[in-house]
Amino acid sequence: MSSVLRYEYTVETEDLAKNYVMGPITVKALDGVSVKIRRGEYLSIMGPSGSGKTTFFNMIGGLDRPTRGKVYIDEVDIAKLDAYELAWLRARKIGYIFQTFNLIPVLTALENVSLPMIFAGVGRDERLQRAKDLLERVGLGERLDHKPAELSGGQQQRVAIARALANNPVIVLADEPTGNLDLHTGLDIITLLKNLNSEKGVTIITATHDLKMIDVSDRIFWIRDGKLERIETRKEVSVRPVER
Amino acid sequence: MAFSIESIRRRFTRAVITIVSIVLGIAFLSALLTISRIVIALSGPAAGAQALPSYQLWMAVIALLVCAVGIVNSMLMSVTERYKEIGTIKTLGAEDFHILELFLIEGGIMGVIGGVIGGIIGWGVAFAIYAFQAQSPLVSSIVTQAALGSVDLIGYSILLSVILSLLSSMVPAYMASKLNPVEALRYEV
Repeated sequence: MSSVLRYEYTVETEDLAKNYVMGPITVKALDGVSVKIRRGEYLSIMGPSGSGKTTFFNMIGGLDRPTRGKVYIDEVDIAKLDAYELAWLRARKIGYIFQTFNLIPVLTALENVSLPMIFAGVGRDERLQRAKDLLERVGLGERLDHKPAELSGGQQQRVAIARALANNPVIVLADEPTGNLDLHTGLDIITLLKNLNSEKGVTIITATHDLKMIDVSDRIFWIRDGKLERIETRKEVSVRPVER
Repeated sequence: MAFSIESIRRRFTRAVITIVSIVLGIAFLSALLTISRIVIALSGPAAGAQALPSYQLWMAVIALLVCAVGIVNSMLMSVTERYKEIGTIKTLGAEDFHILELFLIEGGIMGVIGGVIGGIIGWGVAFAIYAFQAQSPLVSSIVTQAALGSVDLIGYSILLSVILSLLSSMVPAYMASKLNPVEALRYEV
């Protein structure tokens, strides 16, 4: 799947906005964001908490409907999809990585990784083989039958990464993937994500406060108060002193 | 499937309590029906009409309703407890149908276990009561024959138990399947 570049842009948004109505107050979580994300890009969305990063993620992941604007995944307007097609999209085109790992506690690492393949209708044998290969790829070949509680935070996040890649998605959305990890483990996870990005050509979009992420990102989107403040390439960031 | 079984194992105590309530309801019903068969056998078909007084049947129905409410309660707890899990698997691409299936299998398994144990216990208790009371070998053999002829009631009890469990799991399972993934993910237990 690496050489097939059918669509130039994997994700496109147009004037994307989301309002949350809380009693008399309307909160503009996202206010007119237009971006184009190329296939195979490694992208970081940076911004303070509450700036709209997660809302942005929920929109492009097809989890939530925008108040205004459009989202295109591989040139398909996802507002036109029904619930069944959205589930299809989430299962096959998008992989998710959460800050809190969100592995299913009652299932083993292997079962956790095969779970998305069940939803995509992959047969049992292929499921187990692929899950095994993926866990080996993230360095957990020895831990297939461990439950999440028996794994460290970094290992759990590796399982989650393997799970996100289970159905060969075109996009991996990682919401603060290093937020619950120490510096060293966080760096390992970032390196792993970057390697997978170059190997498989999968587009990786991370929302993060983690400045270590800048080193591997092709571009950085800075979001503040629901608006896209600026877009920078890695070079542009490194010549300018980083603000916090 | 494996998911549901593991979920029951993890929440073993609650599953046991739910199953016990199913067992009690089903055992009560199974005992009443078996007793009525034995009474008919002992007193001849003429007395059949009074063999199972309607108030007894009502008691059985109420016992079953109580155990249905118990299952609903237990499944609702199971759903609330797993908001985040449901949000996660919906994010990973599960359709509503998958989540419905998950909880119905869980309810169904509890129904089968409760039905088998309850049906056998109820039948056994009814048999034992009359077998011990039997004064003569003739009565004793009639009772044994009637009881053995009522083994089918265990089958009906299991069937009823499964139907009841599935019906009671329906509402919680439906609620779970309709959860909005964004809200479910944000939910902290």
